[in-house]
Amino acid sequence: MSTVHPVHTVATALFGKTQRALLALFFVRPEQSFYLRQIVRTAAIGQGAAQRELARWVEAGLLIRTRRGNQVYYQANTASPVFAELKGLTIKTAGVADVLREALAGLADRIKVAFVHGSMACGTEKADSDVDVLIVGRVTFGQIAAALHGTQELLGREVNPTVYVPREFHKKLRAGHHFLAAAAVAPKLFLIGGERELKRLGA
Amino acid sequence: MSLSDWARSGWLVEHRTSPQEIADLLGVADRDLRDCARPGLSEDWQLAIAYNAALQCAAAALAVSGYRASRDAHHYRVIQSLVHTIGMEPHLVRQLDAFRKKRNVGDYERAGLISETEAREMLALAQTLRKRVEDWLRQNHTHLAPRRPMPT
Repeated sequence: MSTVHPVHTVATALFGKTQRALLALFFVRPEQSFYLRQIVRTAAIGQGAAQRELARWVEAGLLIRTRRGNQVYYQANTASPVFAELKGLTIKTAGVADVLREALAGLADRIKVAFVHGSMACGTEKADSDVDVLIVGRVTFGQIAAALHGTQELLGREVNPTVYVPREFHKKLRAGHHFLAAAAVAPKLFLIGGERELKRLGA
Repeated sequence: MSLSDWARSGWLVEHRTSPQEIADLLGVADRDLRDCARPGLSEDWQLAIAYNAALQCAAAALAVSGYRASRDAHHYRVIQSLVHTIGMEPHLVRQLDAFRKKRNVGDYERAGLISETEAREMLALAQTLRKRVEDWLRQNHTHLAPRRPMPT
């Protein structure tokens, strides 16, 4: 999926291209419904492949198919027994995290740690929730804003980055800075680095 | 889309400016740029002040071009208009707009979502914009340019 990491991600190991695209579309924004042409365009997949896959997913109860006027709409079935699991899996793999990780790939060697925090990481997000991203590294806010700009349309959500240089992050954590101390222990989706890197920065 | 298209969409309102108005707007920007450098300010506040300076500069350039932003999405339009007024590069406009959103979040939600690095970067961007607007005025609208150059 990523051009920067040719190795498999969880998403590419488990799912094919069409399935990943449909997961990202339906399970990142489960409150939204889409019609076929939208699905094909947004997910950048072939119409035939999309139709076959959609029919299977509807039959399995993963999606709901409704007709309004002469248009057929598809939407995630929140009543499916595996809805919560698929949503969680998507957000951690084919969804938000992957999209953001790829967008940051060009700056990755200058970033110590980057993670999603807030409602998106806790799984308590609403339809209009932003995606909050904390980045610690030798990068500027301008570079990060430029790198993440295009992801907002893809995710259908605002992406709000906060950028710290390692020295300031360390200093503020040591001083018991409320927001950073809370973010350090709250649920997160790591994009670059992990708990170990965060510990090294003083968390 | 040009500024006149924006006006037709109701995003901008035609406006006749004066040397006094431009001097006032740039005066507010200069005051903010000075205040922003005061020691002891929180990052949230520094960013908000520097952002305000940048917004005044953008509003001055828009006024010189014959418009002001109508009420809806006022800040957003003023920022986006920089592409059409002083020909600001899209990546700088995007950066300023990202700071606008950051400031909204900072204002109403969690304190500490703004770092020292970001506050400094916003200040540098506001200073750049202040200088760019003045240079543009000197080259294109001499009669509206400040009599004395920007304080340093």
